[in-house]
Amino acid sequence: MVMKTEKEFRKRDFFYLMPLWLLSLIVPDADDLYSYRSKEFKRKELYYLGVVLILPLIWSDPHFHHLMVLAGIYAILALGLSLFLGYAGQISLGHAAFFGIGAYTTAILTTRYAMPTVLAFWASAVTAAAAAFLIGKPILKLKGYFLALATLGFGEIFLVIVRETRTLTGGVIGIFGIPWFSIAGFSFGTYLKQYYLIWGVLLGLFLFSKNLVRSKWGRASLAVAVSEDAAKSVGIDVAQTKIKVFVMSAAFAGFAGSLFACIMSTANPEAFGLGFSTLIVMMVILGGMGNLYGPILGAILLTYLMDVLARYQEWSLPIYGVILILLLIFFPEGIGTRLGIRLIYLIGYWAKKRKRDEGKL
Amino acid sequence: MSLVFVDAITKEYGGVRALDRVSLEVEKGTIKGLIGPNGAGKSTLFHLISGMERPDSGKIYLKGKEITSLEPDEIAALGVARTFQTVQTLGNMTVVENIMTGMHLRLKAGLISSGLWLPWIKRSENEALKEAKEILDRLGLLGRWKSPASQLPLGKQKLLEIGRAFAMKPDLILLDEPASGLTPAEMEQLSERIGQLKKDGITLFIVEHHMGMVMEIADEVVVLDQGKLIAQGPPDVVRGDSRVIQAYMKGKPR
Repeated sequence: MVMKTEKEFRKRDFFYLMPLWLLSLIVPDADDLYSYRSKEFKRKELYYLGVVLILPLIWSDPHFHHLMVLAGIYAILALGLSLFLGYAGQISLGHAAFFGIGAYTTAILTTRYAMPTVLAFWASAVTAAAAAFLIGKPILKLKGYFLALATLGFGEIFLVIVRETRTLTGGVIGIFGIPWFSIAGFSFGTYLKQYYLIWGVLLGLFLFSKNLVRSKWGRASLAVAVSEDAAKSVGIDVAQTKIKVFVMSAAFAGFAGSLFACIMSTANPEAFGLGFSTLIVMMVILGGMGNLYGPILGAILLTYLMDVLARYQEWSLPIYGVILILLLIFFPEGIGTRLGIRLIYLIGYWAKKRKRDEGKL
Repeated sequence: MSLVFVDAITKEYGGVRALDRVSLEVEKGTIKGLIGPNGAGKSTLFHLISGMERPDSGKIYLKGKEITSLEPDEIAALGVARTFQTVQTLGNMTVVENIMTGMHLRLKAGLISSGLWLPWIKRSENEALKEAKEILDRLGLLGRWKSPASQLPLGKQKLLEIGRAFAMKPDLILLDEPASGLTPAEMEQLSERIGQLKKDGITLFIVEHHMGMVMEIADEVVVLDQGKLIAQGPPDVVRGDSRVIQAYMKGKPR
């Protein structure tokens, strides 16, 4: 009798645990939030890489490719912002401006000066970083709401400048005819090629960020986010650290902007407003702060959500808002971290439940 | 030569004199205790020495160099580490990363070379990790090196904070009420660690409310009362000083 019940429990446990265990292989690591940031890549991360490489070949729908291209660009932006927002704990509501600076730099350099796109790509990052340095010097002294307002103001100023300097930026009409991204004569003309370009760049920047956050600068950022007093007490120059991270995150936005310009082949001020800035912040917050998978997941999720909801036309925005609110209520720490933690909690719960039940027998 | 020389500093908060022309010296290689009743200006003095606040008048010298108007991080770079009255461990990091944060100034690394993880970054990070683990081993925290610092109990967090200060390889550590909120057992452990720090040649300046511990470990004790320095000397002498008894015990018969 006893044996039978025990066996039943085992069977049921297996039934519950199996899908959870499989899911836990898929979702990002719950530890990522806190564990010592080690250099070893986990097997899971190789799975992700494999999926990213193979998925567009299996699912060869151009619309899907295009969406993933957009998601990849947003992911680069969100990854950069997460260094500033998720790690250093500072808010920026003007990141669309750096994205715009990147896009316009590429647009102007390639259409007016016929510069190769690869060079324009790097120039965009440098321009965005330089702008961030100049802006960051005065405004990063501000904290919290004041920093949010100052960066928001910067974003609006950028839009005004773009609209008014018609000779350089084409005003509200923008710039057309930006060439495809090309490296040494190889042009990224199809969605599939663009997919590999974007996700390749994203992978490179992801590895860069992964290294950065486990270096002394990652620790300095995290220290600044928690306690500026403690950070100063160990000799961290808080102002300098904030500026460095801000500049780095603007450079990411510059890369993303440059790629965006090449893929859309246009640059116009419509795309770089406050709405877009908040969208990037949303991606980071929804995805999960303080880990690097979060912003990428957040970018993919929001890009898809917007695409799916587009078919409901006038209802799309209210539905979008409700979904965002629900996600924020149920995943306050972001889907990238919370989902993993929840699953592991559940596995632990079932394992413990079995032990408890066995103990009773 | 004295390591720290505080020359007649005064600090006022809205008309209240927190410190009134206080002068004192901390000798190299000693443990100096700073005691006094609540509101005596002990923590204020620490904030002034570590650069978190500026004195209204008076000067502070470190190793003969004036540091009165320097920023906290510049003072830290000159070899002054500190802990905080309300513990300030970095809860979003692991225990070992907290210690490694203390090595910030000693690790030379640029932002981009860190991101590319160039060979010398890899080497210095590995060395830092190894050294951090050694420090944790000495503090008895090595078993939890990977857990989030926020999950440690208060006593361990205080030790961790001292470890972080030690990781800076400073000349002077300012300990702001290290024993507050600790159990007697933890306090004993703490005194032991402080003794070890002294053996490592680190000068310690301790603010403490808990008089017994300071009297036990300090080489010299300074007593503040209502912003004024009222007594200074070896613990036994200070203990017997009538003004100290009057101020500190506030009428309690001894």
